[in-house]
This record gives sequence, structure tokens and C-alpha cells, in this order.
Amino acid sequence: MNWIRGSWAVLQKDLRLEMRSRYALNMLLMFVLSSLLLIAFAIGQEAVSERMQSALLWVVILFSASIGLGRSFVAEEERGTVLLLQLNVPGSQVFAGKLIFNFLLLVAVDLVALLVFALLLNMVIENWGLLVASLLLGSVGLAGATTLLAAIIARASNKGPLLPVLLFPLLIPLLLSVVRASRAALEGGLGVSGAMGDLQTILLFSGVVITAAVLLFDYVWQD
Amino acid sequence: MINLRRYTLIRNIILVWMTVVLLAAFLLNIPKINILEHTARNLYFHVPMWFTLMAAVFVSAYHSFQVLRTGEILRDIRALQAARIGAFFGILGLVTGIVWSKFTWYVGTDIWWNFDPRQSMVSLHLLIYGAYFVLRGALDDPTKRARIAAVYNLFAATTTPFLLYVIPRQMESLHPGAEGNPAFSEITHPIMRLVFYPAIIGFIGLFWIMYTQRVRTALLKNRVSHDPEL
Repeated sequence: MNWIRGSWAVLQKDLRLEMRSRYALNMLLMFVLSSLLLIAFAIGQEAVSERMQSALLWVVILFSASIGLGRSFVAEEERGTVLLLQLNVPGSQVFAGKLIFNFLLLVAVDLVALLVFALLLNMVIENWGLLVASLLLGSVGLAGATTLLAAIIARASNKGPLLPVLLFPLLIPLLLSVVRASRAALEGGLGVSGAMGDLQTILLFSGVVITAAVLLFDYVWQD
Repeated sequence: MINLRRYTLIRNIILVWMTVVLLAAFLLNIPKINILEHTARNLYFHVPMWFTLMAAVFVSAYHSFQVLRTGEILRDIRALQAARIGAFFGILGLVTGIVWSKFTWYVGTDIWWNFDPRQSMVSLHLLIYGAYFVLRGALDDPTKRARIAAVYNLFAATTTPFLLYVIPRQMESLHPGAEGNPAFSEITHPIMRLVFYPAIIGFIGLFWIMYTQRVRTALLKNRVSHDPEL
């Protein structure tokens, strides 16, 4: 119970700070909107295949995650609140709180990206359940990897564009699976049953990444 | 400390071993194989590079684990040097593979890069090591750098095995043993295997020489730059 209360406190603190400034959320949404519009303008009227649609959707989500979520620990360093957190809450609870916060941000990104993209590219979604499942499960794995790496870059001296460099190589297995699953959801038909294997892979990947991240987090977090 | 005489002995054995392997690789007659013909000799070089990369990945991950357990700087040096030499062998394996496929299966086409599972794996390992080196450059304090770089190295090592499962489902392979391709033992003549297995041992031995030499150099450099009396 204590563990849940501590994680909840960290999450609550982040949510409240976010509600005050809405910096991370606004930045993420603006990034998603502008990159989607760029893609739409660049493509023009041309019809885009389902495979390209799901690939572009996930590339946009991945890039916005790598840009927006990196702040979660950097902000603590800037505000000088790291020591306070270290003293009050055990590392795993900090990690859990931040992980859930990042996941919620990603869900917002997914939602906006999907709606705008469907509008701009005339997406036809055959299987909503599969698409939502792949977006949500993919976001869990993405949030797990990003949260640990955000803690890592908060320790680095030049924080700038480090997160995408560290993040993308790790996410290639996830990207391949989610793109396939979303593509099956867009195409419908026979591919849907085959996408179950992909969903399992995403689930397994997220589980392994989060487990490894929890185990390794203390080494990054404690001095 | 290191027993220098034993070290020299092992090193000399590996050097002689590699010389014999190289001579055998070019001089021994090999049976004619469709498409490949004499480029099949590349088997002795291209495949051991991949084995060596894997060995280096294991050594690097093991020492990263030890960094977290003990916090010794020596372990960090070992993890870094294994990663560097692993990246070197990875690049060699990638290049030999690309050139090989271009002038055999893809001769007459414009294809250089193909999305072969193993090729993708190697390029991913290279990307990860690239990111690992960049991360190290962004950290100033040596003990902090050792610990955080080790975390990244281990974290990366937990995600890469997924590729073994994910990629073969979506990409076709040129390599033996993959779906629809003949197994390795069916397409290689015994005489080729006679050179091939020693070549793997030889290249891993070569890795060991380069690795231990680089670790010693790095240790000395570290001592010179940190010991105020020198």
C-alpha cells in the first residue's frame, strides 16, 4: 500500500505541475500537429498505402515522445527538487510515478495524432479494437524505455538532443511490431488474426523493458 | 597482475593460428558452388566477424554488469574497449556481407542494402554502440560515466534479443538455416568446415589480443592523467 501511495504522490505532483503550466502537453501536441501537417503537405493529394500510414503515424509518435518526454527528469534537476525526491520517496516509486505520467502524456499524443492523421490522410480504420490495443500497448513500452533514458540524460552535461540518439536504437523491435499491428488494423481482413502475435511481442517487450528499467533505475537515480 | 610470459605465449599461438587459417582460406581448393563460386571463401571472414561481434557484445555487457556491482573503473574500461572492438568487427562483418551479396545474388541489380535479419541485427548493434559512445561523451565525471554508461549498455542488451524473434517474421534471409534456405551443414563441404571453425576461434582470439592490448593502454592512459606524481 505504501508503495502505491508513494507512486501516486509522485504522479499527483507531476500532474499538478503540468496542469499549472501545461508546458509538456502543449509542446507535445504542437509538435504532433505541426509534424502531421508537414507530412500531409509533403504528400499532397496522393493516396497513401496502409503500410505507409501506420509507419508515418508511429514515426510521428516516436519523435514526439523522444522530444517531449525527455523533460521529466531534466525539469527536476532544473528546479533543484532531485534531492527532495530522493530523500522522501524510494527510487522505484519515483520511477512508477514518472512512468505513469509519461504514459498519460503519450495517450494524449496517440489520441491527437490518430484523429488528425485520420482526417488528413483519409484513413479508413477497419478494426478499432486492434488499433487502440496496439497504440496503448505500444505506448506502455515506449513510456518504459523513455522514462529510464530521461533519467539518464538528466545526468549528462549536454542534455540537448541526446534522448532521440539513445532511444531509437532500442525501440526498433517495438517499432517493427506496432507498425505491423496497426497496419493489420487499418487493412482488416485476414491480417487481424496474425496481428495477435505482434500484440504478444509488444506486451512482452513492454514487460521486459519496464522490468529492466526498474532494476536499473536506482543506479541512475542515486548518487 | 598479469603473467607476461603466459600472455605472450597465448598471443603468439593465436598469431600463428591466424596465419595458418589465412593461408588455408586462400590456398585450399574448394568445391564449386552455384552463384557463389570462389567468393564462398568469404565464409571464412564474413561469418567469424559476426561471431566476434557477438562475443564482444557479451564481454561488454558482462563488464557493464560488473561496473554496477563493484563500481570499479577497470570494469568500465573493459566494457568500453570490448564495445569499440566489437563495433569495429561489426562494421567489417557488415561491409563484407554487403559486398558479398552485391556481387553474387544481386549482381546486375542496383541493390546494395537488403533487409536481411542478420544485417539488420548488426546495424542495430552498431547504432546502439554509437549511442553508447555519444552518451559517454556527454558525461564528465568518471565514476558517474562508468555507472550510467553501464546502465545504458545493459538496458540495450535486454532489448536486442527481441529482434531475433521479431525480424525473421517480416524479412527474408539470404543466410543458410533461415526459412526455406538449406541448412549450413548441407551447403558446405567438409573441407570448408575444416577452415571455417578454426577461423571463428582465430578471429575471437584476435579480438582477445586487440582487447587486452587496448585495455592495458587505456589503463596506463588513465593512470597518467589521474596520478599527480607522474
